[in-house]
Amino acid sequence: MKSLRRDTSSNPQAANVTSKVFVRSTKSGKVQKIVRELYLRQDIPCSSKLCALCPSVAPADANGNIAPFVLSDRPAGTKAFPRGHYLVPDTNALLNGMDLFEHTGAFYDVIILQTVLEELRNQSLPLYNRLLSLIKTDEKRFYLFFNEFRLETHVRRGPEESINDRNDRAVRSVASWYEDHLRVSVKMSKKEKSLPAMVVITDDKDSIRKAKAENVTALSLADYVAGLEDSEKLLDMMSEAREARDTKGAAQGELFYPEYYSMSKLMTGLRAGNLHQGVFNVSPYNYLEGSIKVPAFDKALLILGRDNSNRAIAGDVVVIELLPKDQWKSPSTKIVEEEAVTKNDNPDTDETEAVVTDRERKALQEEVKQAHGKNSEGKPQPTAKVVGVIKRNWRQYVGHVDSNSTASLSGRRQQTVFVLPMEKRVPKIRVRTRQASDLIGQRILVTIDSWDRDSRYPTGHYVRSLGELETKGAETEALLLEYDVQYKPFPKSVLDCLPAEGHDWKVPVSKEDKGWIGRRDLRDLLICSIDPPGCQDIDDALHARPLPNGNFEVGVHIADVSHFVKPNNAMDLEASVRGTTVYLVDKRIDMLPHLLGTDLCSLKPYVERYAFSVLWEVTPNAEIVSSNFTKSVIRSREAFSYEQAQLRIDDPSQTDELTESMRNLLRFSKILRQKRYDAGALNLASPEVRIEAGDEAGDPLTDVKTKAMLETNSLVEEFMLLANITVATKVYDSFSQTALLRRHATPPPQNFEDLINQLSKKRGMELDVSSSGALANSLDRCVDPENPFFNTLVRILATRCMTSAEYFCAGAHAESEFRHYGLASPIYTHFTSPIRRYADLLVHRQLASAIGYEGEDGHAVIEGVSTRGKLEDICRNINFRHRNAQFAGRASIEYYVGQALKARGEKMAAGGTDTGIDEEGYVMRVFENGVVVFVPRFGIEGVVRLEDFVLPGESGVYSVTERRELAVHRTTDFDSEEYTLRVSEKNHAEKDRSVQVELFQRVKVNVSSVKEEGRGAGKRRVRVLITG
Amino acid sequence: MPLDTSTTYPLTKLRLDGRRWNELRLIQAQISTNPASSGSSYLSMGNTSIMCSVHGPAEGRRGDASGTAGGAGAIVEVDVNVAGFAGVDRKRRAGGSDKQSSRIATTLRSAFQSHLHTYLYPHSTISIHVSVLSADGSLLAAAINACTLALVDAGIPMPGLLTSCTAGMSGSASTPRDPRNDELDPLLDLSLPEEQELPVLTVGTTTCVPVGENNMDEEEGEMKVAVLTMDSKLHCTYLDTMLAVGIDGCNQIRELLEGVIKGSSRA
Repeated sequence: MKSLRRDTSSNPQAANVTSKVFVRSTKSGKVQKIVRELYLRQDIPCSSKLCALCPSVAPADANGNIAPFVLSDRPAGTKAFPRGHYLVPDTNALLNGMDLFEHTGAFYDVIILQTVLEELRNQSLPLYNRLLSLIKTDEKRFYLFFNEFRLETHVRRGPEESINDRNDRAVRSVASWYEDHLRVSVKMSKKEKSLPAMVVITDDKDSIRKAKAENVTALSLADYVAGLEDSEKLLDMMSEAREARDTKGAAQGELFYPEYYSMSKLMTGLRAGNLHQGVFNVSPYNYLEGSIKVPAFDKALLILGRDNSNRAIAGDVVVIELLPKDQWKSPSTKIVEEEAVTKNDNPDTDETEAVVTDRERKALQEEVKQAHGKNSEGKPQPTAKVVGVIKRNWRQYVGHVDSNSTASLSGRRQQTVFVLPMEKRVPKIRVRTRQASDLIGQRILVTIDSWDRDSRYPTGHYVRSLGELETKGAETEALLLEYDVQYKPFPKSVLDCLPAEGHDWKVPVSKEDKGWIGRRDLRDLLICSIDPPGCQDIDDALHARPLPNGNFEVGVHIADVSHFVKPNNAMDLEASVRGTTVYLVDKRIDMLPHLLGTDLCSLKPYVERYAFSVLWEVTPNAEIVSSNFTKSVIRSREAFSYEQAQLRIDDPSQTDELTESMRNLLRFSKILRQKRYDAGALNLASPEVRIEAGDEAGDPLTDVKTKAMLETNSLVEEFMLLANITVATKVYDSFSQTALLRRHATPPPQNFEDLINQLSKKRGMELDVSSSGALANSLDRCVDPENPFFNTLVRILATRCMTSAEYFCAGAHAESEFRHYGLASPIYTHFTSPIRRYADLLVHRQLASAIGYEGEDGHAVIEGVSTRGKLEDICRNINFRHRNAQFAGRASIEYYVGQALKARGEKMAAGGTDTGIDEEGYVMRVFENGVVVFVPRFGIEGVVRLEDFVLPGESGVYSVTERRELAVHRTTDFDSEEYTLRVSEKNHAEKDRSVQVELFQRVKVNVSSVKEEGRGAGKRRVRVLITG
Repeated sequence: MPLDTSTTYPLTKLRLDGRRWNELRLIQAQISTNPASSGSSYLSMGNTSIMCSVHGPAEGRRGDASGTAGGAGAIVEVDVNVAGFAGVDRKRRAGGSDKQSSRIATTLRSAFQSHLHTYLYPHSTISIHVSVLSADGSLLAAAINACTLALVDAGIPMPGLLTSCTAGMSGSASTPRDPRNDELDPLLDLSLPEEQELPVLTVGTTTCVPVGENNMDEEEGEMKVAVLTMDSKLHCTYLDTMLAVGIDGCNQIRELLEGVIKGSSRA
């Protein structure tokens, strides 16, 4: 009988088929052996523009296109390679120096091997993605060469060869093939061209040695970079992780931190319930105190001190173990700031370095003293320690070099400096640099590479400089980077998705046009929009008109963004990544390109626009009879600002139809609002101020305004809420699994414990948190007749006890969990701002499909909103973006206020002394060594330290340094149960020489902007002095 | 994790195993591999290898209900067995057939029932046994090709060779084609990792239709699609491109199989 084995003799092609065998293990622990065929070929081009051979063999793809050749015929050279060079990095070089490869000053004409790409993917997915996007951009001329498929460069693993050695060999064989290939092909072209050198970049010493033997040029990444111009800057961008490990291994330094448990021990512990997993959080007031919320307990667990937090950084997903009861402690009542305690640490690793310095220990000790109080704040709470890290959430951090940590300012010697991140909750980062002198006074971007057991601080490397501290450009970019806002201009692929007509796009005149299919003509309705002054992206417009039967028709018209943004094209994907438009004081980072946001979609007055309308029939008592949804064409009659609309409504001489319609809307909105409050909706407060960019000459502080609430504000708000709720119901009816909704979870009562305690102690008031209605009522009762702001203060504090609202898809929660706590609505979504929120855009698509809108081409596609998995990914992203956008907006206002105060201070200083501004403030929190004061005028919270209390008999203002010296002489008397703090001078405890403050107290403060030395540098701390 | 098609194909236009879009895997085939059966074949497309043997036409089993129904022509019975060691994970099956193999069996049965000149053998049964030795994508297509070879070896009359092949579509094939970007990336003859990632269409074609009792006379050389199945989601705008690519693959395979048959008769 014949053998059935594959017979390769008869088939000439068969010689080129080989196979790749590898073993992988699955999640469940199975080991799989995988065999794959490899078809070796000779038509993979070298992609060099020098080559005369490859263009003739390069094959076309299915559309007959031949990929353009990437590598330049005149590659850049260095001193060592005057004829230019092509780079062939190996995996380690990319792992250590991805920031370098992305740098625009060097690293052009790079050949990325398939072998390297695959290995990189196994080692680090984020780096792999960054490399892929590098390959896709044309400027950097990165060419992905599939070496494993090219007959000449395919390398078979030897019997005793490790996979790393084999891959290194593959890299070298490609380099030598390229060299031979180019020599031959350039000779053929008969043109006088100089051959570029092939340079292998590898950090493997063994590979460099072998390369020498094989006559291949190979350099380590550091050696190569050293030969470039401004090498110092570039060398700083190399990852520290590897280098550090090499040197440390030899020195065998002291180990400061306990070792993490092994992965299997963690997994067993988690499964058994002995260990818990959660996200590590650091207190903004005390960098040594972390907390972690785990599902097993109602209240967050405390993690105190460096030892216990064991190299976790805020945001990391960690595994913790509970500590025995005798180590339980109360949460800190002290403000502890890193730079104050560890100011004198030496960035160069000392042998004497201890994890917990004496000063830190002292800071902790004092807290333990408080541990045995009687009330809930003083009661010891369960504490835990970190025993493992599941996932690091390190990102790039914006910060600046601590000028105290630099040794010499002039030399070009490499030295280690501390970088203080802007984010207070991140520890300082140790960075090695050769350009310390240049970096001082700059906003820089750094990334953390590692945090080893033998190092007190994490080690990182410099990425790039954003510019000088306190310059507008640098600070704005810093802010955007900190909050991960995508601020790059829209790429061409996105702009290509815009309508070709540009600003000249118009609603088609002929109703036969396909744009009119499925649209109602609502152009004759008297529609107007009401927005903040200067608003360009008008999302919504309204109308109301009486019906013959005595009822009214009320309509909310929303910009029809989904008409312009088709699912899954480049613009849609970009918008889904951005998630939301971000509003900064002087800048808006759009979710959609300008053309759509401010023109084609924007419901501008006097022009026809596509809209998505929600129409209700309501009785004169605002009872809703029916609701209806339709795509439409509208023409807004007027775009009002809130003030203008208010004036027009209040002006009795205006009796035209448009004004009447607005008056009707206002009347309905008041009824709706009352109904909502009756149902238990909360009236929450946030410390918001708005900046109205005024003229340059005036006092910038006058631009800072607290948000005024006009009746027209709530008019718009009420109808938007109504539209959102109506749409949510409709969408959920049609898509019970995939409807995109928004929920606000009922906060657990223990969140309010502290606040309830404080209120009953200080004011004898009660807060009923059993339901949102009860809470709303009890909040209404929290009124202090002498202190009109007190109620708002309590509302701000109550808001902070709640969870934040989130997007979700209907299938992810039970229907009873859909509730929106704050609005007291059983179901809610976002529909009314599709220009600035991606969620609304998705809801538009879902609603269009729910009402059977077919679209222009006869089949509206809701692909992408119909698969739940994908939708959940989108929800996660937009929740994250939404939150960050809020933070970024607030930070921007804070920065602006600081700058405004600074500008004022400088003006004052020119004409005399800077005396700051006297304002009113309210005590929000009391610590043992300071208080937190809220200043409503500027919407800022300031930490008031000991030295910032102006004691009776002291003359007003001192300079920062003078005041700092005061702190040493001061002593405090802190009562954690009564929430009072008495500050006095040491040895002078007499009542008349001291200041006592208590929670919720109104205090006189003096606000000024001072240059801060420590971590806030450049941000300008707003200093608050308590003057009485 | 090795790389995947969706990321690397757009960059290099090379597939995971080094093929271009329109290249078949290496096909090797033999017939008369099992002298004990009426006809038999062994066929491998890449790492998918299949053994097939045909018994019959033989008298239908007595008492079999289908015996009476088969009065007009022969009944085709197909039995597919995927070996436990065929895939990546070794499966131990407690007898019977799983969903995948019974689906292949059903498709094969209906394809060949209508393809073969069964009216020549009334009251009889043609049974086909397909053993999958290793599965690496395009299983149904390989099984159809193997059956065709074995049936030819058994000398059962058929109007032409029924050959089959798969076609896939790289890129985001679940959304409609972008009218402004007319570039498509169809792929021919998918391997297992590609099948798991991309939409797959299996096409089977034959050179002419059977001249059965319907007496449909067709011109010689005209091609008919006899088998067309797809399990994945795909937007309909891509279908015609994939079909064209698949049919082209079937023609290539037909030439190969004809070579195998002619080569073996000469020997």
